[in-house]
Amino acid sequence: MKKFITAIATVTAAALAVTPVMAATDLTVFNSKSEIQTQFEEEAPVYSEAAGVNMEVAMSNDPVITHMGTRYASNNPYVLSMVDAKDIYSLTPEHGIDLADTKAAADTDYAIEIDGKVAALPFCIEARGIMYNKTAIEDITGEEFNPADYATLDAFKELLDKLVDGGMDAPVAIMKEDWSLAAHYLAQWVEEQEDPEAYVEQLVAGEGDIINNEKFNSLMDTFDVLMEYNYAKDAAVNADRNKSEDMLAWGDVAFMFGGNWDWSLIVQSESDSEMGMMPVPQNTDDGTNEKLVGGGSKYFFIDSSVSEEQQQAAKDFLDWMATDPDGQDFVSNTCALASPYKSNTLDVSDPLSVSVKAFADAGNLINNYNFFPDDHITKCGATMQKYLGGEIDREELANELTEYWKGAAVIEH
Amino acid sequence: MYELENAQAARRRKIVNVIMWVVLLVLFIAFIFPFIMALINAFKANTDINRFPLALIGPRKGFITSNFPTAMEKMNFWGVFGNSVIITVSATVLTLLFSGMCAFVVTRNNWVACRLIFALMIASMVIPFQVLMIPIVSIYGGTLNVLNHRLTLILMHTGFSVSMATFMYSGAIKTNIPLELEEAALIDGCTRWQTYWKVVYPLLGPTTATVAIIDAMAFWNDYLLPSLVLTNKPLYTIPIATQIFYGSMGGSDMGCVLAALILAMLPILILYLVMQKYIVEGVTSGAVKG
Amino acid sequence: MKRNTMSYKIRQYLMFAGPATILFCGVVVIPLVYGFYLTFTSWDGISKSKPFVGITNYIAAFGDGAFWVAMGRTLIYSAIAVILVNVMAFLLAYMVTRGIKGQNFFRAGFFIPNLIGGIVLGYVWKFVFNSAFVAIGENLNIGFLKNSWLGTPSGAMACMIIVAVWQYAGYMMLIYVAGFMSVSKSLIEAAQIDGCTQSQATWKVIVPLMRSSFVQCIFLTITRCFMVYDVNLTLTEGGPFNSSVMAAMHVYRTAFTEHAYGTGQAEALILFIVCAIVGVTQVYIGRKGEVSA
Repeated sequence: MKKFITAIATVTAAALAVTPVMAATDLTVFNSKSEIQTQFEEEAPVYSEAAGVNMEVAMSNDPVITHMGTRYASNNPYVLSMVDAKDIYSLTPEHGIDLADTKAAADTDYAIEIDGKVAALPFCIEARGIMYNKTAIEDITGEEFNPADYATLDAFKELLDKLVDGGMDAPVAIMKEDWSLAAHYLAQWVEEQEDPEAYVEQLVAGEGDIINNEKFNSLMDTFDVLMEYNYAKDAAVNADRNKSEDMLAWGDVAFMFGGNWDWSLIVQSESDSEMGMMPVPQNTDDGTNEKLVGGGSKYFFIDSSVSEEQQQAAKDFLDWMATDPDGQDFVSNTCALASPYKSNTLDVSDPLSVSVKAFADAGNLINNYNFFPDDHITKCGATMQKYLGGEIDREELANELTEYWKGAAVIEH
Repeated sequence: MYELENAQAARRRKIVNVIMWVVLLVLFIAFIFPFIMALINAFKANTDINRFPLALIGPRKGFITSNFPTAMEKMNFWGVFGNSVIITVSATVLTLLFSGMCAFVVTRNNWVACRLIFALMIASMVIPFQVLMIPIVSIYGGTLNVLNHRLTLILMHTGFSVSMATFMYSGAIKTNIPLELEEAALIDGCTRWQTYWKVVYPLLGPTTATVAIIDAMAFWNDYLLPSLVLTNKPLYTIPIATQIFYGSMGGSDMGCVLAALILAMLPILILYLVMQKYIVEGVTSGAVKG
Repeated sequence: MKRNTMSYKIRQYLMFAGPATILFCGVVVIPLVYGFYLTFTSWDGISKSKPFVGITNYIAAFGDGAFWVAMGRTLIYSAIAVILVNVMAFLLAYMVTRGIKGQNFFRAGFFIPNLIGGIVLGYVWKFVFNSAFVAIGENLNIGFLKNSWLGTPSGAMACMIIVAVWQYAGYMMLIYVAGFMSVSKSLIEAAQIDGCTQSQATWKVIVPLMRSSFVQCIFLTITRCFMVYDVNLTLTEGGPFNSSVMAAMHVYRTAFTEHAYGTGQAEALILFIVCAIVGVTQVYIGRKGEVSA
């Protein structure tokens, strides 16, 4: 028995001995943009060295709220957290501090303000639209591809037919992921309304009249065309994202609805095609078909319960990211993202973000609506999948959406 | 006449065995198929994995080995490997010790406490981990502040696995250990403690091997609990480290995923192959002694 | 030493079961009690305040139609998977304990699926169903393989069951193998001398003695299938159109995606109770009249 207890004690002591060593100010950072985790991890020691802090970057594939919830429950919050815009509204009133006194806040138009305080600052500008493979299109048509020429659905469809005639059997790929269908494509119909807030109020009251809504029909007309030319038409709800991105990269398809975040996958395909992003074509003349949808994205907030040194270290990091040449280089070149900060005039290295930046600089972004209810993606995503799979028609789609929206809990803001 | 029947039976047995062998081989290939796919594709570039999953050598980028060093570097392989080994070995040893002992007292005595703990343990096997997740971090992080130690994870792993291990040991003690043996030990002057370690435990060899491999595997592969307990990067285990290859939105770096999968699997595969031999030996030696 | 005094019992219990009891209570029982308390609050998962709301969450849980649909689906999935896993596992165990050539090799092979964790496993199978099978279908022109099975509700369910069989059959095989091997050889020989053929010996002598193996395996498969989450998340993601959302996934979504932690926790407890009833009943029936050696 004694021997046994000694053994246990030894194991215990051995395991306890390996406790983490605390160095300078700890700057723990949560990164919810998993595709740039490697870049962040490589930058952390460099930044730590330069700023005299101990920066550590973590990520999680769990839903942001789940992950943050466990950190709060264990009294171990991140000093600096990067989350989606919608999460800012539920997290910062209780857990965030005012960022108004940072240089970064003064340098951007995309900060999120809540109750007169700067609650969060964006890491990048992101936008969605139709991604195209310029090289593949030009190889078939033999003429220069200028996306602005295909802003209307009619013109776009003509081009698709031309591509089919030229040997590209199905020039379109559609992502079946619920977040892409619901939070990105379907969301656009709300975002294109003249007053999205007012329209959402109507929807919640059950008065959205979805089936007769001009924007809804216009976007679904385009979606129908995309579906018609979808390479995975026979099993649309099962298109594999990795495969679709690769097909776009290699020019097996020419178009796919998506956003600059898709670059992290496209780049893995190692093709040399020229790529870019264009607005979703629609038969309209109100200008919405000349804009991408997007804006500031991946928002940073600083935890209110950590020490003042830590808060200051986090603020310093935000200023570094926004205004320091090294920080700007990190965002624009290392992460290849469009910066939301005015002082950053660097060119971006990822072609999709080049498009995003061009549209943003020209003021051609339709704002994100960030207050969709928490279950919007899972529920409306399923509804959109049914439509994509041909299980329901447009009227049934509109009915299901009407049902969903009745009394839906929009995020408080 | 008797011999003839015997020869016939032997022949029939031989034929049956050949058929079984073929069936086993077919099933074996089906079982191993995903691993063959993983192995083939770990040596291909992402574009070839996505588009030519069956090709032995990627048509576009050819045969590459770079996925392995890339994956190892990105996940800090040797560091996380060491953590995984320490945690898996310690937690497995503790589980084997504690649950065997617990099963012995619980199975051999009909006391209220024994019945109660056994019932609780059985019931606990069906608790969805999500129910305990937040309470655990609240209690051990928020109140006691003992997260981010390997020991905490080791003890928690043990706590979670004792129930099933006790259940399995209990079954083995009930069916395989004759009561007379223990009574004999008692007459020879053994205490219960000595009886357990000198008489009962050696006979539990096959169960120990089974529990060891099952728990070691579970600890080695567990993601959820370590991700809650070990949030400091130097403490990461292999499954937490591999998360970096999965995109949060359905797209992933398949080349690295597959390479990491193979790297993570090898040690536990070797352990299993070693243990398996022991399971067989344990059974034979037990039979001889018994 | 007196063996029936209270202090003897307590000392015996603590000596043998003390460490296990402490650790088990520490990570399971106490958190469970706290978790139970949380079902009476309207906590959203991240806020500092946890307002007490009584049984509101249970009312919400009982009124959550999607939860009961997911529950029903889980029952069907579990029923099919449990039967297939155990039939497969028993047959495998039977075949690899007959002493045929390379049986150790086979045992290792069938067990290999268990060597990888649930999350990775889902990714690998997704790759197999989406890419490998489809590629085989296209190359060999096999109609039913051309479109990934994950694309239809029934196909996705079938995929989940296939993966369950693949994942657990080897594991349960191991327990059945241990069962087969623990039946002493002399008993079988005795049966054969008494005129039993080998298959008779198997069915009349070995199988009844393996009762505890059956109880264990069925219990383990039931609980695992009921709790399925990892594979659900990575293989089907609940799709297509939420048709493969199992109970645990629904619970997780309610608690975390929809910020209704209390309701999710209440649903999880209901799931736990249902599963516990099914599992314990099975063990009780199985243990009744168990043959002890």
